[in-house]
Amino acid sequence: MQLLDTFGVALRGILSNKTRSMLTMLGIVIGVGSVVLMTSLGASVSGLILGQVSSLGANTMVIFPSTVEGGGGVPRVGFDSLTFDDVTALSQLSTVRTLSPVIFVPGEATYGSQKSQPQVIGTTENFFINQSVTAKLGRLIDAQDDQGSRAVALLGPDTAKDLFGDQNPVGLRIKIKDSSFLVIGVANSLGSQFFQNADQRIYVPYSIAKAITGQRYVNYMTFTAATDSDLALADVNAFLRQRHKIINPLNDPKKDDFVVHSSKQAADILGSVSLSLTIFLTLIAAISLVVGGIGIMNIMLVSVTERTREIGLRKAVGARGKDILLQFLIESTLLTLIGGLIGIVSGVLLALLIALIAKKFLATYVFAVSFGAIFLAIGVAGSVGLIFGIYPARRAARLHPIEALRYE
Amino acid sequence: MTSIPLIETRTLSKSYFNEDVETAVLFDIDLRIEQGEFVAIMGPSGSGKSTLMHILGFLDTPTSGAYLFKGKPTVDLDDDALARIRALSVSFVFQSFNLLPRTTVFENVMLPLLYHPSIPEREREERVKHAIEMVGLTDRSGHLSNQLSGGQQQRVAIARSLVTEPEVIFADEPTGNLDSASGVAVMATLQELHRLGHTIILVTHEQTTAEFAQRIIHIHDGRIHSDTRNARQKSAAQVHALK
Ligand SMILES: Nc1ncnc2c1ncn2[C@@H]1O[C@H](COP(=O)(O)OP(=O)(O)O)[C@@H](O)[C@H]1O
Ligand SMILES: [Mg+2]
Repeated sequence: MQLLDTFGVALRGILSNKTRSMLTMLGIVIGVGSVVLMTSLGASVSGLILGQVSSLGANTMVIFPSTVEGGGGVPRVGFDSLTFDDVTALSQLSTVRTLSPVIFVPGEATYGSQKSQPQVIGTTENFFINQSVTAKLGRLIDAQDDQGSRAVALLGPDTAKDLFGDQNPVGLRIKIKDSSFLVIGVANSLGSQFFQNADQRIYVPYSIAKAITGQRYVNYMTFTAATDSDLALADVNAFLRQRHKIINPLNDPKKDDFVVHSSKQAADILGSVSLSLTIFLTLIAAISLVVGGIGIMNIMLVSVTERTREIGLRKAVGARGKDILLQFLIESTLLTLIGGLIGIVSGVLLALLIALIAKKFLATYVFAVSFGAIFLAIGVAGSVGLIFGIYPARRAARLHPIEALRYE
Repeated sequence: MTSIPLIETRTLSKSYFNEDVETAVLFDIDLRIEQGEFVAIMGPSGSGKSTLMHILGFLDTPTSGAYLFKGKPTVDLDDDALARIRALSVSFVFQSFNLLPRTTVFENVMLPLLYHPSIPEREREERVKHAIEMVGLTDRSGHLSNQLSGGQQQRVAIARSLVTEPEVIFADEPTGNLDSASGVAVMATLQELHRLGHTIILVTHEQTTAEFAQRIIHIHDGRIHSDTRNARQKSAAQVHALK
């Protein structure tokens, strides 16, 4: 018997009982569909998370103050461990480049009757380099503004919209707390950073922020590593510990009154979180594939029993055991492959639907499919059909022709 | 010099074993059937006719004794070799037709060709058409098997049995599920095939059916009782015309 004939016979077996075939495929459709859906969601979510981090710039590092007991991490007003002298000293380090201190100025911003609740950041021009901030309108804050303590402001695009709508604000004056500021520019959009809106900001010169707040410490600093970011991290840690008279050879974060983060480190952590999430979800989906395979085996066994007489007849007209074996193996493998294809299409469509909905809430969410996962899923589906098809197919192939023909 | 018979058995016996219980069914069967004969194996129900036919048709194997097909012993043949002989040399018509359900007449008749090792694919359609024409069902070849009457279904089974041009056609109670008119029509088809040179071995418990054959072998309790030429062979076509 030719292979093509066996294929034809197997295909006719599938088509001649469509309900049974659909039921057989269902488990595989669900299994493959969920593998594809889960890996696609995983890829989208990790893309989303990495996007939050990478908008900081690959080599950007941040120093936060912290108390000796409590962990740092979130810049909290009132942590006063990072002084102006620290800023000056750190900027001299050879591993540190474009260091910029940040002082928060609390209070709302107004333009006439329009109000906005921005994050007001007093900083230097290096900050714009570190965070890739560029001017959409007007210009950025420069060294002269800082040295001259000029009351000028660069608006984030969302703040500009809040206060001025579609009007060009450059050259107009706004109020922050009780001081008047001249708007010199509007920044391009940064999107969100660590799930905070980075466009709802106002940048003012560092010197002005110092004067308004009267603060003797900085809220945080950013810089870029001149060399390798791990090297810079070690260097800054050692340098600040020395200045703050902290002995901490074991790098116990509880002993430091500051904490240094690199965006690479954050990306690694978030990346590994989303990877393990993807692995976990894929594992669940893989289990459902195996369950689907057992379902296939069951229905194939029922199918072999139902078709005992047919098998007997085929043997009576000359089919060998291997012809019958191949027929049922091809049938179960074709079933799982077709089920796998349906599963892929529905998984991708579902992921697309979720992406369309998610985009409404998270602008940076992108639809992603993992082609690796698709190939893997279809491969696994085919193997499931083959492996779980073997037992029923062998049962069919071993039937005695007479007993099979007599089967009621 | 005697020619080599198509079928020859020597003290052939068959027992069934179910959980160590032996049921002896056939005893010391000595039989010769020549090419081109039309033989009826006749006997009461349970006498071992079907068992004998299954052994002669390579669907089952004897417990002891020898079965020679075209002079060659068959004792050493494995399952695949037996399947090959079934594909090439023998075919069956069963009491209960055994057609594939929800499948056309054409595809049912095609079935043995799928397992035939040497008939080329391009000859298939021609052979199937010819076989269906032989049994007079050309106008039904696109019908599903379950849309036909019993007599028509059995004629489809006969077409299926001759599509590979086997050396012998076995028919086990082919009229058993049919009314007498359809039964006679089926017998007329078998007689026509015999006239065209086919070897036919018919199994039946009815004297009237056996009388369409050339030679009648009576079998009782697993032993051959008599083996005679049928002097009163009837023409099924004539009987059919009378009805
Ligand atoms: N698989 C089997 N196991 C045990 N006994 C069997 C089996 N098949 C047939 N028999 C017995 O063998 C005897 C002959 O059966 P069979 O050849 O079908 O008779 P016939 O076709 O003449 O009616 C019967 O008594 C039957 O019960
Ligand atoms: Mg019988």
